Amino acid sequence: MPLKEKIRQFIVSELVGNGQGTELNDSVLLIDSGIIDSLGIMALIGYLEEKFSIEIAGEDLIPENFASVATINDFVLQKSTPPMRATWTLN
Amino acid sequence: MDFELTDEQKLWQETVIKFSREQLAYDVTPYEQSGEFPWEAWRKCADMQLMGLPFPEEYGGCGADFLTTVLSLKALGYACKDAGLVHALATQILCGQQINLFGSEELKRHFLPMLCRGEKIFAQAITEPGSGSDALSMRTRAEKQLDQYILNGSKTFITNGPMADVVIVFAQTDPQKKTLGGISCLIVEDGMAGFQKSTPLKKMGLTTLQNGELFFDSCMVPQERLLGKEGQGAIIFNESMEWERSLLPAAHLGTLERVLETSLSYAKERSAFGKNIGSYQAVANKITSMKINLELGRGILFRCANLKDRRKRAPLEASICKLFISESLKQACIDSVQLHGGYGYMCEYEIERDLRDSIASTIYSGTSELQHNIIARLMGL
Repeated sequence: MPLKEKIRQFIVSELVGNGQGTELNDSVLLIDSGIIDSLGIMALIGYLEEKFSIEIAGEDLIPENFASVATINDFVLQKSTPPMRATWTLN
Repeated sequence: MDFELTDEQKLWQETVIKFSREQLAYDVTPYEQSGEFPWEAWRKCADMQLMGLPFPEEYGGCGADFLTTVLSLKALGYACKDAGLVHALATQILCGQQINLFGSEELKRHFLPMLCRGEKIFAQAITEPGSGSDALSMRTRAEKQLDQYILNGSKTFITNGPMADVVIVFAQTDPQKKTLGGISCLIVEDGMAGFQKSTPLKKMGLTTLQNGELFFDSCMVPQERLLGKEGQGAIIFNESMEWERSLLPAAHLGTLERVLETSLSYAKERSAFGKNIGSYQAVANKITSMKINLELGRGILFRCANLKDRRKRAPLEASICKLFISESLKQACIDSVQLHGGYGYMCEYEIERDLRDSIASTIYSGTSELQHNIIARLMGL
């Protein structure tokens, strides 16, 4: 599964509240729309670190990096060493 | 996972216990009555370098790992009967963690040495009259004007607040945004125009700990005193809570161990109807529960410290740690008063003080109810 889809799947299954739609395109503003709140971002960061073996700390911990599926995808790719491909497949 | 302590960590733990018994063995009662802070004890802790433990040596710290810092707080909670002093010290360290993790090089060089030396008292101001556990619904506002922020609002129950020289203030910088992105941290110093501190609030426990209100009336804070980036406040808050919910429970676990030892000793000595009271199951069960909770608490506490030492995230573990140990301590104190009977209820035996102190541990740093909410959210519920 491509990286972006993995991220999208996590947000839809773990962070989208009950009764909300599951359609989540790349540019939906996750924080402004309330999908990711102050608790949700803890879960998201933990997921990204665990699943993609990246370390997120200090100056990377800014809301802009988690604004949408697209920005999260770009951020994970940028943090990955060696650089991860967008089509990275996980188990 | 192996939680075996190194010889150095064991030795340090014993050293802090010895230090506490020799240097912090003052009678807490007069301080409780006067509400004064034990300054001499604070200075001794500073001389012992307890405040600078986890910070890099280049900023005046000791460069110790987090588990060693946790062990120190546990040792203090065990051997020092003044939980207010221990809490004040933990707050100092937690403020330093925020500066060390998110501060600019300039902020770290300016503030950390004075923090480590205990020369200046640090506080973090989050809670407001209208927002407790829902901390991020704060209303204190920091408006950017040219090269400074104009701070307006008030904070309450702030630990170390009435005696603080430096305060890390969380405030709204963009009310249009949700909490994520709309809150920032500013470092305010005593003496800045528009900044005022109240006298300490009276509490049922932790009486030597100074808690109070802080007022900001068009307080001008230079933009260089922004901690982290603008809008990073909620994330700094979350990050700091992971450390806080490991460090404060460390002291609580130490106190739980002391309460257990006191209760066990009394249950073996005190007789009723021709037998030691410990031989009655109703009494023994209280003590075995303390022992079980002590061992389980140690497991989750060390796991949290280990995760943080490995630069791992631990929000779930820290919430479990905080919830479990604080509730275990409170129950242990209730049971200890009960099994000591009339003596437990008398101030002279100092058991009732532990109970009064322990109740606060289930309230500050997020109530037990909030910890359940956090754990549920992090489980995807």
